[in-house]
Amino acid sequence: MHKTPQVNEVNEFIEIASDFEDPLEVIREALSNSYDAGATQVDIKIEQDAEGRNTLIIKDDGHGMDEDDLSSFFDLGNSNKDDAIGYKGHGTKIYYKSDKIRVETVTDGTRIESVMDQPWAKLNDRELPTYSIEETESDEPSRTRIEVHGFRAGQGFDPRKLTYNKIEHYIKWKTIGGSTAWHFGDDFHEMDINVELSPTIDDTQDQIETDNRLQFPPENRDPEGEFVAEEMCKHYPPRELTVTLDDSRELTIEVVGMVGGKEARNKLPTYGKHSAQFGIWLAKDHIKVERYNDAIGADNEFFHFFFIANCQDLELSANREKIRNKSGDVYQSITDELNRYMTKVCQDSWYRNYIERRKLENKQRSIQSQGSSLEERLQHTKDQGGLSPSNPAEVIAALERYSANGSPETLEIADFRLDEEVNAIVDTDEGYKNAALQVKLSDFFENETPLTHIDRFICWKLGDLDALTKIERSSYLGKPIRFDFSNNEVTYGDENKKTIPVLELADKV
Amino acid sequence: MASFDVVAEAGEARRGQLQINDRTLETPHLFPVINFYGGGNEGALFGGGVHRTIKEFLAHDNEVTGGEDYSDLFNGVMTSISSLADYGIREKKLEWYLDNEIREWDCFSDYDGMIFADSGGYKILKQGGLEGEDFEKDIDQDKALDIQLDLGPDIVVNLDHPIHPDDEFEERIEKMEQTAANAARFAERRDEVNGACYLTVHGYYEAMLERSFDLIEDELAEPIPEAFDGIALGSLVPRKDNVEVLVEAVSDCKREMQQRGYDDLPLHVLGISGNAMPLLVAVGADTFDSASYLHQAINGKYCVNLFETVPIDEANFDDCECRICNDDFHRARMRNEMDDLYQKDILGSVAAHNLAVQQRELRKFRQLIAEADKERVAEYLEEAVKDQKGFRKFAYQLINERINPYFEETDTTYA
Ligand SMILES: [Zn+2]
Repeated sequence: MHKTPQVNEVNEFIEIASDFEDPLEVIREALSNSYDAGATQVDIKIEQDAEGRNTLIIKDDGHGMDEDDLSSFFDLGNSNKDDAIGYKGHGTKIYYKSDKIRVETVTDGTRIESVMDQPWAKLNDRELPTYSIEETESDEPSRTRIEVHGFRAGQGFDPRKLTYNKIEHYIKWKTIGGSTAWHFGDDFHEMDINVELSPTIDDTQDQIETDNRLQFPPENRDPEGEFVAEEMCKHYPPRELTVTLDDSRELTIEVVGMVGGKEARNKLPTYGKHSAQFGIWLAKDHIKVERYNDAIGADNEFFHFFFIANCQDLELSANREKIRNKSGDVYQSITDELNRYMTKVCQDSWYRNYIERRKLENKQRSIQSQGSSLEERLQHTKDQGGLSPSNPAEVIAALERYSANGSPETLEIADFRLDEEVNAIVDTDEGYKNAALQVKLSDFFENETPLTHIDRFICWKLGDLDALTKIERSSYLGKPIRFDFSNNEVTYGDENKKTIPVLELADKV
Repeated sequence: MASFDVVAEAGEARRGQLQINDRTLETPHLFPVINFYGGGNEGALFGGGVHRTIKEFLAHDNEVTGGEDYSDLFNGVMTSISSLADYGIREKKLEWYLDNEIREWDCFSDYDGMIFADSGGYKILKQGGLEGEDFEKDIDQDKALDIQLDLGPDIVVNLDHPIHPDDEFEERIEKMEQTAANAARFAERRDEVNGACYLTVHGYYEAMLERSFDLIEDELAEPIPEAFDGIALGSLVPRKDNVEVLVEAVSDCKREMQQRGYDDLPLHVLGISGNAMPLLVAVGADTFDSASYLHQAINGKYCVNLFETVPIDEANFDDCECRICNDDFHRARMRNEMDDLYQKDILGSVAAHNLAVQQRELRKFRQLIAEADKERVAEYLEEAVKDQKGFRKFAYQLINERINPYFEETDTTYA
């Protein structure tokens, strides 16, 4: 004997309608459906009556629905949208959490009006709701209008959370409104998106007018100024990567993205935590799904990057929040290829220059704050009237003071702090000077310590002259440097050149 | 007597012909290290183990080769005077070895490849000389050259004092000065060499290499290209796994040669092979030497490509295009399926395969360079490193900066 497993249809509807927790998902579903219907314009309106009940009105100029399409709209599991964004037509079932659904649609000279009364109440009474259909002839262009009265999603649909600001960023982040498809041509068509909230929900601004294109902030590859790394931005143009699987199936990955500093990134839409949205996104239908920051490798920080890698072979969970086929070789091949691509981006000369510039500017900033702390130290040193040894390094420094007794100039260690960048203050004929005291001069440069506050170098010996020549040939912290060993001095900088005398003790003691 | 002609270039990579007397070698080329004398007698090809099997390949002994001619694997080989004492021989035997040049022994008389006789600087200096069972010889430049010449070589190189990355500056200078002094003495005896003379230089980056060249030039009585036929870059072995350092050293050495007008000389990279070779060819290296093919085999490792090895019993010979793997005789040997096989019979075939894999990559590279197409070279490199996670970023960097930028300015016509 064979038995057929039974499905409790009512429960099924309840579960699917409850699958969507975030009220914003209504907007995502609506936009995707309109896009799939070929719409070039979609208007979403959320109204609220005096009792606080909400009505969604979604209008588009897409190809409209015939009776079959309407069945898919209301029914479960017989979607005719094979390649479309909605997953098995479950998306529209979110509207069942309402008091009334009314659909008005025009297609091929036929206008259909369809109403479903009390879907949510009936489901909760264990009854399958029905919908009416009324057909009339019409010479209007095709369109669809969906009204959902008394809508409640998730744990109570709270429209106060639906500010314009939040919706706008959500659209650009999580829906087709933030699609990167337009970079890759082919199936893309432009769609204008309009969202209007009733003033009782949000009256802070006019309605949202946007489209279905995610835009990167403008390029700013080589800005002028002292602290500019944050403004830097470069686009990495659309690329199609192909991978061949072991079974010789071919996958296409469409990648587009940008690298940029904080200022540039702030121009991007934000949904959720700012820090949680940068890096490398895997996408389907060109809509971001999950991040895969491993693609950048441990040497690089994810937040400089914003890349979207689309692959139609990724499979998503019903609510589109997760990738389902992570264990398979498809996912493995996609991420492998993405790793390779991102390695290339990370080896791009512009990117390396950007990171270098950023590092230099950070050092520059720390010098500025160091300036004031050095002032304090100098004051403290003056007040204290010299050195009282408290660690071995200071004793060494004191010995040097002793050994310098017979030297042509007075040079006494007045203050020494081992772990500070400028580790010594020396008392000279010309007053107090900031000094770097090193066993080997070349060690100092190995640490890439800034020279801004250093007036003197005191070292036991110069160290590795080849290493110093290497630095001289490239540059030091972005600026030219010269080591003049015959005159015992270091010159540093371009226009505001600075000369720092070097005292090498080894030949003097 | 010796000439080097560049026949094609792709970016900084070049394909050349090294001609010494009547022998010609296509570059880039890898000189496999061979120990011609391993403590044994002529009848046993001077020594046992895998070394002997390799020599049987080289001398095409049919019982080992299976009747095929594999001499193309040994067009140019490297041998070192320090290897003479590898097996703790007695002085009498050493003298006997050195009585006849390698090709004067019957067993090697058919060998027609080039012999690069290394001074063995690294090993000799570490041990303080040449040490046998009943003798200890201090080796200086003159003695090193005497022994090198006794082998009947095509290429000889001065006795060098390799530097180490951890050397203090003064120590490094001292070694470089000793190498320079040796180079000068070596140049004085130039006329005794019936072949090519190579000069060793040392350094990990331009400033060091500049110093190395300067010190040598100061010691020499004539310009480098008049005294020497090639440059050998040494001291890289301790950094063999750091491809970034290797690329910097080779490309800086190359630049230094260009600036001094020695660009026409071939550049040999001492002691390096394997995965770094393609990148080093891309920045201008011409030849390499290494014993890794042999050491891998001795450790039971079969090369899948330049990057990976697998234990010999896990090897899939069908995946390899080399002649060894496509020969049932060697397959049976490598699988240990024949009667009375010694370990050396199994591992000898594996070593020959390992060598073939490395040389195959260089042959591919030679063909690509012949097309003089930078893009194809970049593609080849990219494909070669595509699954090597840690390695590929250096390769991509090199391709990006020196061969074919991934994100050209013109590429950013952004919609
Ligand atoms: Zn093989």
